[in-house]
Amino acid sequence: MENLNVTVNGKFYSVQVDPSIRLVDFIRDNLFLTGTKVGCGKGECGACTVIMNGVSVNSCLIPVMRAEGADIETIEGLSDGGRLHPIQEEFIEKGAIQCGFCTPGMIMSAKALLDQNINPTVDEVREALGGNICRCTGYVKIEEAVLCAAERMRNEGK
Amino acid sequence: MKYVIARTAGEALGALTLENGKALIMAGGSDIMVELIEEKRSEDILIDVTQAKDMKGIRVENEHLVIGAAATMTEIHTNPIVKEYFPSLAKGTGSVGSLQIRNSATLAGNVVSAQPAADGAMALAPLNAQFVVLTTQGTKIVPFSEMYAGIGKSSLDPHREVIKEIRIPLSEPDEKASFIRLELRKSLSLPMLSVSAMLKYKEGRVEWSRICMAPVGVGPVRALKAEEYLWGKELTPTVMAKAGELAAENAAFRSNPLRGSKEYRRHSLPVLVRRALEDIADQLGVL
Repeated sequence: MENLNVTVNGKFYSVQVDPSIRLVDFIRDNLFLTGTKVGCGKGECGACTVIMNGVSVNSCLIPVMRAEGADIETIEGLSDGGRLHPIQEEFIEKGAIQCGFCTPGMIMSAKALLDQNINPTVDEVREALGGNICRCTGYVKIEEAVLCAAERMRNEGK
Repeated sequence: MKYVIARTAGEALGALTLENGKALIMAGGSDIMVELIEEKRSEDILIDVTQAKDMKGIRVENEHLVIGAAATMTEIHTNPIVKEYFPSLAKGTGSVGSLQIRNSATLAGNVVSAQPAADGAMALAPLNAQFVVLTTQGTKIVPFSEMYAGIGKSSLDPHREVIKEIRIPLSEPDEKASFIRLELRKSLSLPMLSVSAMLKYKEGRVEWSRICMAPVGVGPVRALKAEEYLWGKELTPTVMAKAGELAAENAAFRSNPLRGSKEYRRHSLPVLVRRALEDIADQLGVL
């Protein structure tokens, strides 16, 4: 076991972990933040996407010790005192969800994009979400939801 | 498992030496982690170099573009110096996997993983790059052409050697490069075929060229017949088409159930080589 110091959704943890586990295992099994999903387990579906030090990563491919000193955001960190984030609200509003398994990863990829670029083009949205696979809805509504969330966030000055 | 976070390249080499072949260097880990998860590989000790300060960053030094071995694909893809001197490398590093993969994967790792059609490695292939490698015997310089020992096998030993950085001679205004891929989809898929090329065009003639193709052998394969043919020639549509045909003579085509039959690849390769040359001619303003 090794000591890990990491901030997840604004909360600092200093804990003992098995260094052979993945970041996603730590998030789900140690912190019980099960919003982050494991789909393919090899970086090809994006269901495990979290934001690490400001960029989107596949948490199934990140060894847990790489998170030492890092700032991690997961889907659970998005809502503000029970109020959903605009990206979450737009996913619901636009019907960009069916089974929901890919949704946390999609939203985290979208959040990483909008944190850097509040006025993305369709191509920029596609590049940012290209690593997230949905097997239910297709991608049109997801794209719409991200673009509408961006517009709302611009208007709300977020 | 033991996990060591190296703060410098020297510290990484020290840790490797201490463990005497039992520890593995890992940068982004996007290939190594999959192999560990699928139990295709087992490692007792991982040396993480992503925090090694002297292996990060991208800079110009002594007429070379220097890319730290821990620089991510995203950092290379979005770097203004890379975009200015080697737009084809910016394109290739921006084609790897998905954004999440590019945010952790490295160009050095892409070469060491030694998959033939790796987009980053292919874009780098014609640029005459050299790898600065730390070993217990001292620092050695390995040219790109000597980095591959087989499919999926690097000539370097990541249990004993550390790539510190990649050095690329800065291009002159009359030297241009291209990278193109024939793809089923843009994200999360290897190309059916990819071609990269660089050439120097002086006084209306090709002074030299380097054309690389994949996946048609071990690592990026040079189209030597086409390169020889192009020497001293003007870049006309006929010449570029002929070079495309000749390129196929250096390629060994294999069928892949997902990414095209060998017949399809044989038919398509000359077209891609021609398009890469046309892209270069366009950049040179000779078309």
